[in-house]
Amino acid sequence: MQDDPARADQSASLPIATTGVDGQSGPASDSIALQTMRSVVRRRLRVPESAALVVVLGALMIFFTAKSHVFLTQANLINVLIEVATVGILACPATMLLVAGQFDLSVGSGIALVSCVFAYLITHGWATGLAVIVSIGLGLGGGVLNGFLVTVIGINALITTLGTLAVYSGLAFIVTSGLPIEFNGFGELALTRPFLDIPWSVYIFFGFIAASIFILRMSVFGRSLFAIGANRAAARLAGIRVNRTIFTTFVLSGFGVGVAGLVAASQTGEGSGSTGTGYELTVVTAVILGGASLAGGRGSIFGTVIGLLILGIIDNGLTLLNVQSFWQQVISGALLITAVGFDVTRRRLTEG
Amino acid sequence: MGATALAARGVRKSFGGVEVLHGVDLDAAGGSILALLGENGAGKSTLVKILAGEYSPDSARIEINREVHEEMNPRSAHAAGIRMISQEFQDAPTLSVAENISLGRLPTRSGIVSRRRMRERAKRVLAEMNVELDLDATVGSLRIGERQVVEIARALSNEARVLILDEPTAALSHQEVEALFLYLRRLRDRGVAIIYITHRLDEVAALSDRVEVLRDGNIAAVGETSTFDRAALVSAMIGRTAAAVGRPEARDWELGAKPAVEFRHGSLEGVFDDVSFSAYPGEIVAVYGQLGSGSAELMECVFGLRKLTRGELLLGGRPVTYRGPAQAIRHGIGFVPADRKREALFAVRPVCENISVPSWPRLATGRLLIRRSAEVSAYERWRAELQIRSRDDPMQPIITLSGGNQQKVVLGRWLECGTPVLVLVEPTRGVDVGARAELYRSMRELARDGIAILVSTSDYEEVVQVSDRAFVLARGRIADSFEGDKITTSSLLRAVGS
Repeated sequence: MQDDPARADQSASLPIATTGVDGQSGPASDSIALQTMRSVVRRRLRVPESAALVVVLGALMIFFTAKSHVFLTQANLINVLIEVATVGILACPATMLLVAGQFDLSVGSGIALVSCVFAYLITHGWATGLAVIVSIGLGLGGGVLNGFLVTVIGINALITTLGTLAVYSGLAFIVTSGLPIEFNGFGELALTRPFLDIPWSVYIFFGFIAASIFILRMSVFGRSLFAIGANRAAARLAGIRVNRTIFTTFVLSGFGVGVAGLVAASQTGEGSGSTGTGYELTVVTAVILGGASLAGGRGSIFGTVIGLLILGIIDNGLTLLNVQSFWQQVISGALLITAVGFDVTRRRLTEG
Repeated sequence: MGATALAARGVRKSFGGVEVLHGVDLDAAGGSILALLGENGAGKSTLVKILAGEYSPDSARIEINREVHEEMNPRSAHAAGIRMISQEFQDAPTLSVAENISLGRLPTRSGIVSRRRMRERAKRVLAEMNVELDLDATVGSLRIGERQVVEIARALSNEARVLILDEPTAALSHQEVEALFLYLRRLRDRGVAIIYITHRLDEVAALSDRVEVLRDGNIAAVGETSTFDRAALVSAMIGRTAAAVGRPEARDWELGAKPAVEFRHGSLEGVFDDVSFSAYPGEIVAVYGQLGSGSAELMECVFGLRKLTRGELLLGGRPVTYRGPAQAIRHGIGFVPADRKREALFAVRPVCENISVPSWPRLATGRLLIRRSAEVSAYERWRAELQIRSRDDPMQPIITLSGGNQQKVVLGRWLECGTPVLVLVEPTRGVDVGARAELYRSMRELARDGIAILVSTSDYEEVVQVSDRAFVLARGRIADSFEGDKITTSSLLRAVGS
């Protein structure tokens, strides 16, 4: 009975979704309507995972365009891109990690550390080029440490990066003695707009998108990430070097931290321990909103980018409407829960 | 005696518009064992899940002790004394054996869990089953067969009036099966109604009083077990007449000159000892051993999952040492593990990806860039060759295929990879009769093409049906070996018993 379509019921007995009114979980309480919907959805829901997101994005744009004259202007849309660029650079490797069933929560404090060290070096007379190299090396080093702890020592990724989140954050404040270090120069990434009035930071983000799409869709490495996320034991038995692959992905995440840290430093003109606070949650929200499954084995950069744009537009739109910025936090938390809820429901509806 | 009686009439059920049960009847009486037989997809599991209240039928009339239930839910089924042991573990892997046996009904003394009584209960039921298990071991650390034993023990110790077992012996050793049958008979004599789902015809004859055969959601045969012979059951199951356990046609091809795989006095501390055997290119060699005999571990040594503590492993006549599957694959070894779902399938990924995983480096341009079209053509090749039945859609998730077809994809994975040695552990577990024959045929054809095939199995019929040479492993030592037509079910069973 392996091919029994009703096996969906078993694999889907997830606590959130199937608890009925009487507290009994399970398919016995499924109505015929739900089952019919399930079969329809199963047939139709191959592409629409991202299509539904695009619809949400479109609806948001229409809403904010109607509410504010400023919203649908080139300058404002570029602002949205600028706002999501830093988080976006982090979200690309984060998508790869989640596809393989891994997390990196240390990215937010990682960019704080990078920006602080960069500011320290610049203000202590280092050449910009050298400071840039050291900063990216620092990001890579952070990734190496995370990867080492997860794959060699074998600590769960969530715990590891929760720990390094605190460590990197503490180190950032130590480097700056608790006060932001302001510096002159190095505004190029944020200010120079080579084409179409779009600054370098956004082009770097585009570069990350292109490279990540290429890696995830075309490379053996990317395919291996999907296999590891789908079934780690099977991946190992099929000859995939699981630990090596996961390690490399953490290092890629570290590279993202290095670059994003420089972008953040360039945008703010200072190195501060509070740079990037909470970015890890925004990143995870965007990636999951974009269709990556918490269980691993699924996800796409395209989805992540749409997820980022949804978050960015809500942020931007609410600011234009003069809504208190605290509401943005409420909404992004609610969105994270909604996104995971969608993930759970989608698995229930589509998996046979 | 015979107080309990379950009668289901006209059970219908569809999934997504496709009816899988077309109005099926089922009778189970206390003091009687009913064997429910049928190929995968015949509707057996769906039927018993309706009885256990896990699925709601489209229409049905279920009577338990003359009380009519239009519909069962898990709670009412439980109240009626229906207990089901399903194929998938429903245990708590992080808890101990004793805790699992009392799961959901821990014995308490004034509100506090009494560990002493919990252990006593576990000890009593395991002793009744004649099984020895460490009560304090966590269930997750047990082997599959032992975990199954714990599940059965839990149901047995919990006032079952109708006991449903969905292929409980798939992972059990010979002794464990014997012990289980003994206890099931004892339960029957106490008046419990037993519904026993199985693939294995020998179990039907050995255990059941009545038999019901399902085919494509209809009853193909029903009646007293004694009125059916094996051939009648098989033809009822598959809808055509089938030969009994037969030997494959004699080999009409030459074997390679040097053994592809050879063990010389191989030992693995505490598992097997001084094992020597070999397999030549073009040959199918079976290692027959029950759970715990060491045959599965022997195969894991070939694939680099374990390292021999003494002795040598030779490939193509040269001693090798390697660690890990990636290196084993580079040495030309393919491995089909026993637990397909946990160790072989990328459930949510497309079939074409599932078949090409170990071949990615070869399929990729410059070992780096993989194109979907390369995966699709790999899949199309083996889909035709191995007669994989699936939608005409290489992006179909593998989990939507039947067990037999999933296994063909896993086999195809290694054929695409082109490894000259194939190691298969329990290759037809959870695979129905029809697909089983096709898999055996494919294995013969691969041997003809010069591949050396090692099969580790606890199914003696499988050994007879597929192997050129067979080694019997018992308690970590080779008890006997047979060649050609000397491989018979009786010779194998005798060797294990001796």
